[in-house]
Amino acid sequence: MSATALIARQQLRLLSRSHTFLLMLVVLLGMTALSGFIGWSSHATILRVYDETVRTLTAAGKPAPPNPFAYKPRLSLLNNMTIYVPLIGALLAIVIGNMSITGDRQAGVTGIIFSRPVRRSSYFWGKVAGSAVAGAAIMIACLLLSVVGLTLINQGPPTMPELVRLTLFYALSGLYLLLFALIGLVAALLTSSRSLGLFAAVAVWALITFATPQFTSGLRPVASLNPVTDTSSISHSAFFRITSKTKPLAVNEQYKALSTRLLSQGNDVLHTGLGTSAAQLAPVLFFVALLGAWANRLIARHDFSDETARD
Amino acid sequence: MQRQTAAANVNGAGTAPVIAIENLVHRYGDVEVLHGIDLTVGAGEIFGFLGHNGAGKTTTIHVLTTLIVPASGSARVCGFDVVEERLGVQRNIGYLPENVRLYDSLTAAENLRFFAQLSGVEDITEAIDETLGILECRELADRRLSTFSKGMRQRIGIAQAILHRPRVLFLDEPTSGLDPMGVRQLRDTIVRLNSELGITIFMNTHLLSEVARVCTTIGVLAEGVLIYNDSLERTLERFPDEASLEDIYVRLDDQ
Repeated sequence: MSATALIARQQLRLLSRSHTFLLMLVVLLGMTALSGFIGWSSHATILRVYDETVRTLTAAGKPAPPNPFAYKPRLSLLNNMTIYVPLIGALLAIVIGNMSITGDRQAGVTGIIFSRPVRRSSYFWGKVAGSAVAGAAIMIACLLLSVVGLTLINQGPPTMPELVRLTLFYALSGLYLLLFALIGLVAALLTSSRSLGLFAAVAVWALITFATPQFTSGLRPVASLNPVTDTSSISHSAFFRITSKTKPLAVNEQYKALSTRLLSQGNDVLHTGLGTSAAQLAPVLFFVALLGAWANRLIARHDFSDETARD
Repeated sequence: MQRQTAAANVNGAGTAPVIAIENLVHRYGDVEVLHGIDLTVGAGEIFGFLGHNGAGKTTTIHVLTTLIVPASGSARVCGFDVVEERLGVQRNIGYLPENVRLYDSLTAAENLRFFAQLSGVEDITEAIDETLGILECRELADRRLSTFSKGMRQRIGIAQAILHRPRVLFLDEPTSGLDPMGVRQLRDTIVRLNSELGITIFMNTHLLSEVARVCTTIGVLAEGVLIYNDSLERTLERFPDEASLEDIYVRLDDQ
């Protein structure tokens, strides 16, 4: 087995024994299991309100409009996942990335590892691979929970196109988690203590999740919480002209917009709008590549001889 | 006694040096911490590296274990250059850093398996069993390290360092934090590793009493300069007026 695979496997083994990680994982999986029910519950409430309105209108002898919610895509019941992943999932990914470095540091073994035939690049790729596999495993678990939830709610399994869209959504979410795992890893390398590394990474998470959207898509003040689509017109003031140009930098917004398209639109999203999808995916890929390159450089130059357990 | 004059090979004729350091210099930023050290350690020796905190002992070990690249000079371990032939060095050494904890959430055997795999050990299960047998701690194999005392951890730490049967073992303050019984056990272990497995041992330490009982050769480092290097036997002969190694160390340091 290569050194890269050994480092990755060791990281996964340590994660599987970490109480912090397991607790956050349970929360994310619990929310995933609940998301379908929450979506179904809110949809059912809307339908009941519509039915009540129809009854009132019919009793008054007035015509009732057709139900605007009758043909809502079934996957849109999982829309809440586009909130849970950037909130809970991203924090979980930060813990994964942070632990990938601080786990070895707390154990005081980095010096031992690099006194063995292990290249720095192998260590870097091992940590990235470990984080990616952990993120992928979490997303696969979420996918399975979502399929079970949708099957129970809709009284039948998702169709093949729905399964493809759901898989694409969770693949995108896995990539998004990798971005935050890299943020956690870089922050751990730049700081000397575990808590400081976590604090720095969480600060960046808050910036990306809550602050950046305000500077890049100011017309959507609730976008940090709700997966709403773009409004139809943009103000022509200087502020909005600038922020509309910097919008691609809002990686959180791009993730949510693409996720919402995958979950809330019909199956035609797979056949049309590929350019838009690519444009929304590009910032996530760009920042993953950028952070990956940075982490690689930091590991290549880091003085691992001076690693001691702190806090 | 003049500084550096004892740096020539003091290991006796016919003993090939496994560690050879020439004019080694290292800097952290603008601060020079090693000022041109010359030192050789022969095969089969137990070398005690003495010096105050901050003298440069750990930095020297970090250079010899390929963790840092020296500013200038050269160092060879088992004939391999620590900068140009790192892989050769890494395959021939074991290293136990100071205050190593290892992975708390894993068992001793799981910890050892990881380091054995990194070192390319072929029959890992046998290597772990044999090594724990040598260190007389087979019963610790399936226990998590979070339940271990400092002394138990130190034994597993030594186990990871010798799993692949290195030719040279580097120990950085191995007695740090150990109780008297732990120190005694560690001393016995070091002697056994040297006599039974033929491992050359390079040990940074403050415990002069242990050095006197275990080491065959000593070196004294003061502010990045090797001020003394000779066999323990000749050292004791050279300073007949001093009652203990501690007295000799104080006298050397004063000079």
